[in-house]
Amino acid sequence: MATHPTQYAHPESLVETDWLEKHLNDEGIRIVESNEDILLYDTGHIPGAVHIDWRADLQDPVIRDYISPEKFARLCSRHGITPDTTCIFYGDKANWWACYALWAFRLFGHEKVKILNGGRDKWKAENRPMTREVPKYPETNYPVPKKRFDKEIRAFFDEALAQSKSSKPLIDVRSPGEYKGEITHMPEYPQEGVLRGGHIPSAKSMPWKTATNDDATFKPAGELAKIYLDQCGVKPGTDTIVYCRIGERSSHTWFVLTYLLGLDNVRNYDGSWTEWGNKVGAPIEKST
Amino acid sequence: MYPTKLNSIINLFEILPEDERRETLVSYADNAKKQEPREGENFELVDVRKDEECMDTVGVYLHVGENGKAQIRMTLGPEVQTLTRSMSAILCKGLEGSTPREILDLPSDFVTRIVGAELVRVRSQTIYYVLTRIKSICKVYLDRQRMAAA
Repeated sequence: MATHPTQYAHPESLVETDWLEKHLNDEGIRIVESNEDILLYDTGHIPGAVHIDWRADLQDPVIRDYISPEKFARLCSRHGITPDTTCIFYGDKANWWACYALWAFRLFGHEKVKILNGGRDKWKAENRPMTREVPKYPETNYPVPKKRFDKEIRAFFDEALAQSKSSKPLIDVRSPGEYKGEITHMPEYPQEGVLRGGHIPSAKSMPWKTATNDDATFKPAGELAKIYLDQCGVKPGTDTIVYCRIGERSSHTWFVLTYLLGLDNVRNYDGSWTEWGNKVGAPIEKST
Repeated sequence: MYPTKLNSIINLFEILPEDERRETLVSYADNAKKQEPREGENFELVDVRKDEECMDTVGVYLHVGENGKAQIRMTLGPEVQTLTRSMSAILCKGLEGSTPREILDLPSDFVTRIVGAELVRVRSQTIYYVLTRIKSICKVYLDRQRMAAA
């Protein structure tokens, strides 16, 4: 039986709500809120936090892809972010979209990124300060990233297919019903947007939520290791691909594997089930 | 043709710049609680449930006055998203004084005119759900009226 870690591989990648409340005005940090509820930021947010909309700000409006490096530089400049700024992401839904935004920032090579453990719900539950005041920061001149790190942290259809055929670790982080093919969207969402239900052949089911406690904080390192190393068969140094429906829940798991367990070679297949389940010729499996 | 009150709300939203549109939507969401049933009010029909495809419980309450005009009240669980709260408040206000038949015949194309294309996404389709729920309670009311008259 392998010995499991007793602490996160990169504990500095998380900040606690207590810490953040004491450091709201620190130089060199930018708090970034990213949510599923598109008007939630407008109803109140952590003082000083800026809003990044996962679709309007991070995705190309025409091609299913992310924005260009030029647009990323403009986005960061608009929010007063420089390459040296530590971006602390938080949001609703236990940080799904916060992890997605963090992952997108990593795609463009922004290195100083952290997650607020417990996200918006924990901050609010602890009655910490909220405001509707939208901060304005002096515009910066963020340099246009020279490359996007797609190859390193992002998987495409062909790579997911190769992973499936070679039976290397492939983790489906959707709900059990989605994995089995009983439903095509998360429970409690309109069931639309994909033609077939099921999962990628050879993928193991490990819902994203398995990694969190009831208050949306992450489970301790030892428990995470048991879940992903023991139960999913993920190994350090082995290519691992995670997917969900459009890539936000799998960003959460990607963050856990990459930052909390310190695994290399983990990629997020953001095309996920909305690509795979609709794609002509893509094999699927269903299970009971 | 939309009911007069709803039409005024649509016209207001259509001239608002994007940031003010968001502010106004949030303001409606803030006031959604004001559309809950009030003490002493009676309703002909009450439909409180959590559907499979909705995040939380949504309650719809219908009162039809002697003049045949409807009064809609709504209750929303805490997990209901902001945009859906906004739309609930807008519909309760905008449909006040319409008949159940007028509500049932209401086309849904006004939703994007209020919300704006920027905010309508696959995951915000539940804003249409609220309208569907209001229409369905009106349909039940009209069916019962028809059966009673038969």
